[in-house]
Amino acid sequence: MAASATSIGARDPRVEYDGRLAFTRIQYGAQGLTSGRFRREPTWAHDFPRADFHFLKILGELTYVKAVVDEGNVLRLDDQELGNFPVAYMSEPGFWQPSDSEVEGLRSYLQKGGFIIFDDFRGNHVDNLIDQMRRVMPGARFQKLDATHPIFHSFFEISTLDPRSGYYADAGDTEWLGIFEDNDPRKRLIAIANNNHDLGELWEFSDTGYVPVDLSNQAYQFGVNYVIYALTH
Amino acid sequence: MLDALFRFFFGLSPVVFGQGEFRFAASTGSYMAAAAVAVAAALAVVAYRSGRGRARTRDRVGLTAIRLAILAVLLVCMFRPLLVVKAAVPQQNFLGVLLDDSRSMQIADVDGQPRSAYVKNEFGAADRGLLKTLSERFTVRTFRFSSAPSRTTQESDLTFGGSQSRLGAALSGVRQELAGLPVAGLVMISDGADTADAALGDAILGLKAEGLPVFTVGVGRETLPRDIQVGRVITPKTALKGTTLMVDVVLSQSGYDGRQVTLDVEDEGTLVSTQQVTLPDAGAPASVPVRFTMNEAGPRVLRFRVTPQEGELVIENNAREALIDVRDRKEKVLYFEGEPRWEYKFIRRAIPEDDNLIVTSLIRTADNKYMRQGVDHADELVSAFPKTREELFAYRSLILGSLEAAALTGDQLKMIAEFVDRRGGGLLMLGGPRSFAEGGYAGTAVADVLPVVLDRDQVMAKGTVMRLSVKPTRAGAATAVTQLGPDEARSAERWSTLPGVTAVNRVDAVKPGATVLLTGTDESRAERPMLIFQRYGRGKSFAFLPQDSWMWQMHSSVAVEDLTHENYWRQLLRWLVDGVPDQVEPALTTERVEPGEAATLTAAVVDPSFVELNDAAVMATVTGPDGTIVDIPMSWDGEEAGLYHASIATRAPGWYEAKIEATRDGKTVGSAVTHFRVAPGDAEYFDATMHAATLRRIAEETGGRFYAPSSTASLADDLRYTGRGVTTVEEHDLWHMPIVLMLLVGLLCAEWGYRRVVGLA
Repeated sequence: MAASATSIGARDPRVEYDGRLAFTRIQYGAQGLTSGRFRREPTWAHDFPRADFHFLKILGELTYVKAVVDEGNVLRLDDQELGNFPVAYMSEPGFWQPSDSEVEGLRSYLQKGGFIIFDDFRGNHVDNLIDQMRRVMPGARFQKLDATHPIFHSFFEISTLDPRSGYYADAGDTEWLGIFEDNDPRKRLIAIANNNHDLGELWEFSDTGYVPVDLSNQAYQFGVNYVIYALTH
Repeated sequence: MLDALFRFFFGLSPVVFGQGEFRFAASTGSYMAAAAVAVAAALAVVAYRSGRGRARTRDRVGLTAIRLAILAVLLVCMFRPLLVVKAAVPQQNFLGVLLDDSRSMQIADVDGQPRSAYVKNEFGAADRGLLKTLSERFTVRTFRFSSAPSRTTQESDLTFGGSQSRLGAALSGVRQELAGLPVAGLVMISDGADTADAALGDAILGLKAEGLPVFTVGVGRETLPRDIQVGRVITPKTALKGTTLMVDVVLSQSGYDGRQVTLDVEDEGTLVSTQQVTLPDAGAPASVPVRFTMNEAGPRVLRFRVTPQEGELVIENNAREALIDVRDRKEKVLYFEGEPRWEYKFIRRAIPEDDNLIVTSLIRTADNKYMRQGVDHADELVSAFPKTREELFAYRSLILGSLEAAALTGDQLKMIAEFVDRRGGGLLMLGGPRSFAEGGYAGTAVADVLPVVLDRDQVMAKGTVMRLSVKPTRAGAATAVTQLGPDEARSAERWSTLPGVTAVNRVDAVKPGATVLLTGTDESRAERPMLIFQRYGRGKSFAFLPQDSWMWQMHSSVAVEDLTHENYWRQLLRWLVDGVPDQVEPALTTERVEPGEAATLTAAVVDPSFVELNDAAVMATVTGPDGTIVDIPMSWDGEEAGLYHASIATRAPGWYEAKIEATRDGKTVGSAVTHFRVAPGDAEYFDATMHAATLRRIAEETGGRFYAPSSTASLADDLRYTGRGVTTVEEHDLWHMPIVLMLLVGLLCAEWGYRRVVGLA
């Protein structure tokens, strides 16, 4: 976990839809960009916005995806505009306590064809994610993905998943968890969760030398694959 | 009526005048009379010129002219004008009588009596009616006819159950039957409704060449007072299982203006559509769109039926049947997308639920990097977009996404054009930053095929986007592909509530012959074409301008369970593959064959690059309704490239299946299955009025006459003067015709009256 060094304005960023893909970060909890007793950065905003823009820049450089590279969305799950951006990213889902309308919004988003990435959580935070997703999609369950799943081959060939490669490897083995339509692994993956990992952190500091280049590269590979998978499945 | 007047004035039938030769039979007395007339004329001139009185010169000239006219009429009469005509010698000539024995003769439109009643009354027995009159003068040979003529000798031969009326075949048949005999002419009693495909022209030419006149008697009414008819239904010959069709049913009526009736569609007895229809005004056929889904595979007979109304004269024409071969197979669509984008994902996502469509896709994710989805085997599309015609033509339809023209070679662009033009495939170009003119397609072979005009100077500025609300045009509202509801009203309602879309391609004009099915209203209220369709060569092409129809799925206003987006794309892709030909493409001249007649089967055979093959071995294996199997070789007739023919004899009524297999050099080129039905047709009941024009044409072109049943009194007399057969010459004096006396009396009265008026009396 790392606090963003970028100053954030009073208004939540919002992209006017024009047909291009825009990075959409899910905001949850209290409104605004500070929270808690110590007025810390809220958990949904970890690595924002540098991680988002770095990732979009790499996505635009490497692929033919037409993406908005100089703006990003911050939307709540019950925002009417969420459907305009069918791939979403949530940071720190261990702290996610969605309202009923947000639960309803995400359920509808995923059932219609949206895709969500849960990132930046460790230890027992996964329990909260599982609990909240049970509210979103009763009956749906997270299943552990292995390297044969198409999401790891949609652009880059990620042939092995090293359980010790995660950013939070000290908190436990890294797991790639997924929810499938109808819980059927042959069907579309609608959500992916990087347990004990933090791709956003690696994206954010990829241009600083604070994190190993190999780890940053790998994080970008996962991110690009997730988005290409979402755009093609 | 006119005939009677003619006879009153001229003392003879018009036929006699038509056939006769005009002559004078002058004698010595005639010339003496001429001299006397000349003297009388001279005296008349002198008398009127010099006579006393107050008459002006103009009146004197007029009176002189009348007097000279009187003398001229007398002079003509003195020269004994004659009409010389050949008259048939009684009982020395034959007469062919053709009686219509088809079902339409059962229609009771003559004072509540069926048309057949006239035939029975007049021709049922030799000792009554018109047959008796004719028999007194001719040796009559009576024939009944429907599909072909046959001799009849007794009333019980007439059943009025024939399922066809082939007037031409009947006339030619009787002409040949009576060849060599002294035939005075033919008499045809019919309602004139000809159900044959072939024109009457050939039969009439034969009769004219032989100089054999046909005298026709039209039975029945030229308009039915109370009738509803399903006039025409146009359905595709084949359809993919699960396809929703929108078919135009043409209704016409008389006597039921504005009446609400029920129009049902049955698929082999199962009701698949029903709707209330308001009938159009009499004499103005109206087209009613009917929507239904073909859910059962195999040959399906669809019945379009209007519930019979009270007082209808003919209820058999309230229903029409159509045969559709419903195919249950997977049709492959190739989708080539130039960039990962949501439109690609959601189009693919709309199709998997469709058991009859496979979308094989190739998506370019980066420079020279492609992802393949939905491929059948590891080698399919392994080298990206097909480079040979054989490879590309294996697909039935092609979707080009946001992919610039420069990504394809010149030959690949040409191949795509040939895919539509020659292979008969369907092409759909989707809106996107890299498609249409913005993608550099203007001036390419693909631009020729597209239904829109591309102009490289009229493109959207980079980064600009049009925001549009989409709705169907009139043509779109009547097309199954753009139907979003169970009926037209609910479909229009759904379109009006759909979320807006965006477009990044500028299209200002569509090609002549293209049809705009959807338009979009932009922010300046301007209408822009959004979905455009045209036929091109053997195939068809579509342009769909929005870049994000997926909004109809993902937008917050669209409910999770809403299937608008899925249905729209399934319908569009089904239309894209509909009617795309195979390598062996069968066809039948008619879907229903009369029992005992031969069915003519054709098959167009092409190689994998869709070049016609004339040296293939083509065999039709025909399975009859009783399970008998017959192999019939099909032959190329040397006229149309790649087209093979076979004539299939039919026996029992029922369904016949023809499996056609084409081989070349021992290798299979392709195969196809088609079906046809052997059953009596119902064409007799359609347009079942008395067709006076047809019967009049037969009579007039062959030198005969057309009669209404009430005016056949002169028929026997008229037949005497056809000039054919064993004849004798008759001379008819014309001087004592009533018209001559009337003319003389009239002229004399005119002269006397004129003289009284001008004071010369």
